[in-house]
Amino acid sequence: MAALKLTLTPPLEAENALETSLREAFESQKQSLRPPFSLAIPSPDQYTLLNRAILHGVLTEPQFAKTHIKHLHAIVTDGYATFVTLLLDLVNHLYPKLLASVKTQLLWLTDQTVCVLGIGYDAVLVSLLRQIVGADCGDVNLWLCSKLVTLFLEQWDCLLEDSPHVLSFALYTFLRVLTDHCRGGSVEKLETLKRLEIHLCVKIVREEFHLCLKIGRDFIRLLQDLVHVPEFRAILKDIVFNPCVFNVVGFEFKDVSQIYSTRTSSRYSLLRISPDMETQLRFLLTSIKLGNQKRHQVWFGKKFLNEPDKEFVIVDIVRFICCGHHPPNEIIQSDIVPRWALIGWLLTSCRRNHVVANVKLALFYDWLFFDERVDTIMNIEPAVLLMVHSIPKYVDITHALLEFLLHLVDSYDVERKSVMVKGVSSAFQLLVRKGVIRSLDVLISCPALHPALKERLKKLVACGMIGSS
Amino acid sequence: MQIKLPVHLRVGLCSRPPQRVCVQEVLEREVRLSYWNKVKQWRSWRNKSDMVLLKDIVPAAHNNIESKFIVLEKGSTALEGKNRICLTLVADETAAVHLQLWGDECNAFDSGDIIHLRKGIFSYQHGNLILRAGKRGKLEKSGEFVMSYVEIPNMSEIHWIPHATNSKYYIQDYVISPHSRIFPPIP
Repeated sequence: MAALKLTLTPPLEAENALETSLREAFESQKQSLRPPFSLAIPSPDQYTLLNRAILHGVLTEPQFAKTHIKHLHAIVTDGYATFVTLLLDLVNHLYPKLLASVKTQLLWLTDQTVCVLGIGYDAVLVSLLRQIVGADCGDVNLWLCSKLVTLFLEQWDCLLEDSPHVLSFALYTFLRVLTDHCRGGSVEKLETLKRLEIHLCVKIVREEFHLCLKIGRDFIRLLQDLVHVPEFRAILKDIVFNPCVFNVVGFEFKDVSQIYSTRTSSRYSLLRISPDMETQLRFLLTSIKLGNQKRHQVWFGKKFLNEPDKEFVIVDIVRFICCGHHPPNEIIQSDIVPRWALIGWLLTSCRRNHVVANVKLALFYDWLFFDERVDTIMNIEPAVLLMVHSIPKYVDITHALLEFLLHLVDSYDVERKSVMVKGVSSAFQLLVRKGVIRSLDVLISCPALHPALKERLKKLVACGMIGSS
Repeated sequence: MQIKLPVHLRVGLCSRPPQRVCVQEVLEREVRLSYWNKVKQWRSWRNKSDMVLLKDIVPAAHNNIESKFIVLEKGSTALEGKNRICLTLVADETAAVHLQLWGDECNAFDSGDIIHLRKGIFSYQHGNLILRAGKRGKLEKSGEFVMSYVEIPNMSEIHWIPHATNSKYYIQDYVISPHSRIFPPIP
């Protein structure tokens, strides 16, 4: 019998190298995969080969999965590091193409590696979280959500003790995914899943609030998108008006500004970008010349933004471009597509007004709480360059962006307006000081911008200067 | 039996006395060396890539082109006799060219796909210069998106003439159009 397949490779398409290596290992080791197992200690090469063969075996022969796992437990000498690394590669490079039965086995296997705390299992979980597709309520995607949310709930104690950071990643992902699922209306299949996801998120926030603080300010941004869900409205209210409910022994939560002032690590923005999408975005921003990017943009759009609802993903993409992709100086100074140009294109691809607003919020979010000591100029650079470079041909974009920024300062959190004034004005000052823009005059003296808008900007920067001196 | 190193090998060596080497060792070493050379040769032969850049392809009656490129545009599928054909614009970092898909190939590839061509042929068909896999060649999708490209020059839009002394070979005569006239560049 020939080895079974992991993916359905269409005709005239090359087989993936990883799949080939697993299949060949399985075929060559077939004899040793059935009991009685050899008691001899395998050589290092043979060990790797056996790990590959067993992985392929579990994935393609569900009826022998338990035997294969026992075999693995018997031979393992490296804390499952080899095996888990293979699993991780598989998720990163092949997951979307895997056959449904293989995916089922893969999730079972992930559960098994968590049970034995195989070295690197946390990376596999994170990688699986990345495979949840944004703005996709298809059955395949919902299946993965429900498998993972169940896994996190069932392995709660173990994860909390061994790798709490994975729970922070899960919280970020499910908060984001819940906005998609809540938009889907009350379909029955969605309802059960939604309850589970809400349960997991609320459990993390209420019981392990320090994991939310780890996320930083984007936690609040995501929470605000879910304010129509009673559980999250209550949480947000508590965070703002009743912070002491989150106090535990040895930790005092005083005010939401504690969260505002924590920059969210780029690892979180990566969570909502699939490895495939990440490869394509990074390729666009490192290898394609400005002016030559049109076809690549069309292909990207065809693959990832092909349905009306997919525009919700643009918020995540913009967040990734600002926080997760920081090109080196050689690229910034070259003729490669700059980040602001890509964001400009994405912004014009949005149809719904509230998506446009969310994209702009994603673009400016780090401006509002900017603090040189913890924040990086690379997160705020794309927005200012998009404003400045749009002046000659697309001044309405500059106008809309600047107006939105000033509006945010006034209304994002009225109680803490001084924080935003300080943040935005120090962002502008640093951008000028570091030479990203020559001076604020490009905006303040721009004849094409509305005088009232320029006046507000001038006032804001002046206010910020008084506040900081 | 032992031998001494020949005198000329001792010259210029360090002040240590010349090392004495057994014949057996020398022989073994030679066997190892010749084997190693063979391995090296075999490796270089295996790794030797016949991959050509599109700017270097020349019309010929041979099925010997191996190349990698990305599909930029796909025309509509038409029937030629009983078989479907479809003209596409493909390109790599150096040039573009018209590629003709045949039969099932017409459905297998889409714009943005990266294709690996083996044993392809670049020749005239009904007066048009096109690249294709032909009966002996093979097209295979090996990826997507991650390839940069140029649309100028287009090798199908060049007028070629037979070489003055050897009419089997073609040389470039003049450029008919810098870019494809069938698939004009996006403005």
